[in-house]
Amino acid sequence: MTTNKADDEPMTGEARLRIEGGLAHFPGLAKEQTVCFGDLASAQRAELASLADQAGFFDCTSVGNRARPDARTYTVGLTIGERSREICVAEPITDPAMAKLVSVVRRLSKQRDGDRE
Amino acid sequence: MCTSVHRHALHCILPPYILSQIAENGSPEMRALAIRSLLIDPTIRMVRASTAGPVTGDIARRRAAAGNILTPSPLRTIRDAGGEPEAPGATVVRREGDGPTGDLAVDEAYDGLGATFALYWEAYQRNSIDDAGMPLDATVHYDQDYDNAFWDGTQMVFGDGDGELFNRFTISLDVIGHELTHGVTEKEAGLAYFNQSGALNESISDVFGSLVKQRLLGQTVDQADWLIGAGLLTARVNGVALRSMQAPGTAYDDPVLGKDPQPGHMNDFVRTNQDNGGVHINSGIPNRAFYLAAMAIGGNAWDRAGRIWYNALLDPNTRANTDFAGFARVTIDVASRLYGLGSAEESAVTEAWQAVGVI
Repeated sequence: MTTNKADDEPMTGEARLRIEGGLAHFPGLAKEQTVCFGDLASAQRAELASLADQAGFFDCTSVGNRARPDARTYTVGLTIGERSREICVAEPITDPAMAKLVSVVRRLSKQRDGDRE
Repeated sequence: MCTSVHRHALHCILPPYILSQIAENGSPEMRALAIRSLLIDPTIRMVRASTAGPVTGDIARRRAAAGNILTPSPLRTIRDAGGEPEAPGATVVRREGDGPTGDLAVDEAYDGLGATFALYWEAYQRNSIDDAGMPLDATVHYDQDYDNAFWDGTQMVFGDGDGELFNRFTISLDVIGHELTHGVTEKEAGLAYFNQSGALNESISDVFGSLVKQRLLGQTVDQADWLIGAGLLTARVNGVALRSMQAPGTAYDDPVLGKDPQPGHMNDFVRTNQDNGGVHINSGIPNRAFYLAAMAIGGNAWDRAGRIWYNALLDPNTRANTDFAGFARVTIDVASRLYGLGSAEESAVTEAWQAVGVI
């Protein structure tokens, strides 16, 4: 599905991501990235929405666990239509759907960042 | 079985040569028990030969009690996540004793774990991460365009990098040693992973990661590059590594990555809420202290300098909340215990910590 209310209404929203930790600290990479749904293909928007539902992103309890050595902590924000939420999740991410969602947001953020350069 | 309620002494404490004597000359009942015990030994050998790994639990205790202990060897398992964000990876691609696979990440992880195991056993007589033969597990090809490697409490996880800024994370042997050392620290001092204790945790991983590489290459202190993650940054990046123990703050200065933020002296200590309180930033200070101590002591860094740092990590005075100054005191104390009060080693360690402003 690429729409949230009606088939002819485009899905609106954005994904935000901030990464902390990792094997090293790079000042240039420690900033929040935002991906507007308007910049994404419909298939990408649909994948994000589907993964958010599978992970129960808007309903799940935020674990807030502390990252292990060199593991990353992801602060992921999603706004899809009228739903909006931000959660913090640390590696290793045990829920496969949440891990996939974070992976997709991370790669889309990086791709958008690369497009701007 | 030694754990059974009705345990029999023959299985637990007698060395093989005595068992052989009993098997030949004992009563029928004792002969039967002795023969059964002797039969266990070749079985153990076969099991161990097939896994080439440590045998723990009842069998290991029985062997140890019999004074029949084999030299520890690693038990490595490399898994492939196939680009999925899952660890452990779904497919086992190389087990202990298997030959090279031709997959660089798989073979580098396998060899790197072996080199790290060798440093800890041959230099410090430590049998794996937990000093009890813990298997060494790693997952490679984790996720897609994944620019990181980490220790998840049970295994090492390596990404392939994005190819733009980072190469595969198995490319640097010291990074593999670094990750495995996090497991050692977790089992020993348990240094809390934030602020100064976290930076110390990071520094100890850098120290032993570098020593793994130096030892494999047979380098003396003045031959080593003292870099962490050399080869990890692609040619597009203006930098040589993730960190420099010799000159913290000089590893990279790049338009995308930014400038290496590591200080090398307490005057430049960075107070921040990022990076768990700057664990990868302020680790530059104890890193340089180790570099200075090793250079002053000379020779191979894993010998005396490394032994001092390793024993300091195991020292009861190094605790979860130990800060730089606390660890400095422990290393000086260990140097004097190992090499004598007023020894060149103790002076080298003391002067190193003074040079970076910790004491």
